[in-house]
Amino acid sequence: MSRLAGPLVALAIASGVALLAPVPLAGQAPPSAKTGTPSRTPDGQPDLQGIWTNATLTPLERPAELAGREFYTEQELAEIEKRAQEKPRSPESAGTVAHYDFAQYGLDPNQAKRASNRRTSLIVDPPDGKIPPLTPEGRKRAAERAEARKRSGPFDGPETRPLGERCIWMAGEGPPMLPEAYNANIQIQQGPGYVAILQEEIHDVRIIPLDGRPHVGRKIRLWMGDPRGRWEGNTLVVDTTNFTDRTNFRGSSENLHVIERFTRTAEDTILYEFTVEDPATWARSWKAELPMVKTQGPIFEYACHEGNYGMANILRGARAQEQAAEEAAKAKK
Amino acid sequence: MIATVALVALSLPVRPAAGQDAARRTADGKPDLNGIWQALNTANWDIQDHSAGPGPVAALGATGAVPPGQGVVEGDEIPYLPAAAKKKQENFANRFTADPEIKCYLPGVPRATYLPQPFQVIQGAKSILIAYQYAGAVRTIPLEDPGPSPAPSWMGWSVGHWEGNTLVVDVTGLNDQTWFDRAGNFHSDALHVVERYTPSSPDILMYEATIEDPKVFTRPWKISMPLYRRVEKNAQLLEFKCVEFSEEVIYGHLRKKASK
Repeated sequence: MSRLAGPLVALAIASGVALLAPVPLAGQAPPSAKTGTPSRTPDGQPDLQGIWTNATLTPLERPAELAGREFYTEQELAEIEKRAQEKPRSPESAGTVAHYDFAQYGLDPNQAKRASNRRTSLIVDPPDGKIPPLTPEGRKRAAERAEARKRSGPFDGPETRPLGERCIWMAGEGPPMLPEAYNANIQIQQGPGYVAILQEEIHDVRIIPLDGRPHVGRKIRLWMGDPRGRWEGNTLVVDTTNFTDRTNFRGSSENLHVIERFTRTAEDTILYEFTVEDPATWARSWKAELPMVKTQGPIFEYACHEGNYGMANILRGARAQEQAAEEAAKAKK
Repeated sequence: MIATVALVALSLPVRPAAGQDAARRTADGKPDLNGIWQALNTANWDIQDHSAGPGPVAALGATGAVPPGQGVVEGDEIPYLPAAAKKKQENFANRFTADPEIKCYLPGVPRATYLPQPFQVIQGAKSILIAYQYAGAVRTIPLEDPGPSPAPSWMGWSVGHWEGNTLVVDVTGLNDQTWFDRAGNFHSDALHVVERYTPSSPDILMYEATIEDPKVFTRPWKISMPLYRRVEKNAQLLEFKCVEFSEEVIYGHLRKKASK
């Protein structure tokens, strides 16, 4: 399956094909009265299980032209959704030569389901809908990271490419979990004492113990952090620490602390809220929320690294360009 | 008194039949496979009998050597077709460069089970999820038939059902890119694996896999081994995101050469 993906540097997409094409827009949930109390798993947990999508048209931060406005009107939202439908569906339509059919590979966001959201930003606190400014320490770190990147060219080797392109970690995986550009699908599975969250990209499972155990020792650092969960009524609260300093969520340090809340507000909807804290990066914590809606499964394997022909071709292309430049320089002499 | 005893007996969860009470039970009365499990053998080096041997990197000395082990294949014989037997010999000769594990590729089934790293079973009433520490590999095993595999994949297309105390998983849709071990035992995309997970005590699962692949083998054959519960109080899967450990092997030749 992964071999279908062709080289396309501009997109830098590795591979993976979602089974999204047949997803109808209507909800998949069986018709049932909203009781207010979610159904329970056999061991008595509120049941969050199923396949969900967090795809949305609402940006994380509020665009400048919407300053002071928390919600779109129904009319504006309809307009935005209409515009999204009209976006070019493949690079061909934008004049690119490479064949990368968005519809064929399930990459066209319009093939997937998404929750309607009248919010103008996912961030709800601070009220301006913006990530708080970096602290002096956060700015210093950002400058150092930028400086480190300059020490090598962007195409020198795999390490100089973004983590997502290397199939190590997609920025939307988090936590906090934010929608990927496509395949924004999430499977929740529960067993006694655990909640497991599988994200299609990149097939990573967050296994969340609910037994109140402490976090792992400080020396253990994890790309996706160390999650600990508990139920507060019908809400799953997940506390995650022990990140690596390379995870770099919007400039974060390894002391990033993420608190997520999952509440099933309807048969086909989970309200997902998260609070992000990192005093070494932001002067204050910030909070966002977005709905996750039920979608049709199953989730197919996203073998990103195994099908990463893009990485080899990106590097090969850079070496070919260098060689051509070298030969051109020689010819001039 | 008798009435009290009877009441207590009635309030107990569904008990398994005599001789089968090795399994814990889930709240809905199924054998409870939840937990963190790990094989304790050398099958990942070679699923057949093998003596100790040197590793590929002399500098690693004893730390890189291959530990000896008795095989997990029934009768220790893998019934390769003649051409496939030859291919296996080639794989063995090239094993230190050709094994897909070197590139951090998803391990396939059944190899995921006996990699020397733990895996965790999260058992729901309708499906069972198995997350493996190695490479973040994962499988979802629905207990209702999801229909045929839509396309080949590394971890395959699973469907499970209960037979008494045993979870039986039928796996198809596996691609031809994975090996059974570091010794070059291999299969084609016609591979069909039937796995059986049977609790034999609260902390031991007996694992059995029947391997069928008419393009490579003359007949079906079987592997089996115990899987042990990781009983440490703080046991949990950690990340083994091995992509970055394999980048030099895969892309090293495409790096920018140091400028003269």
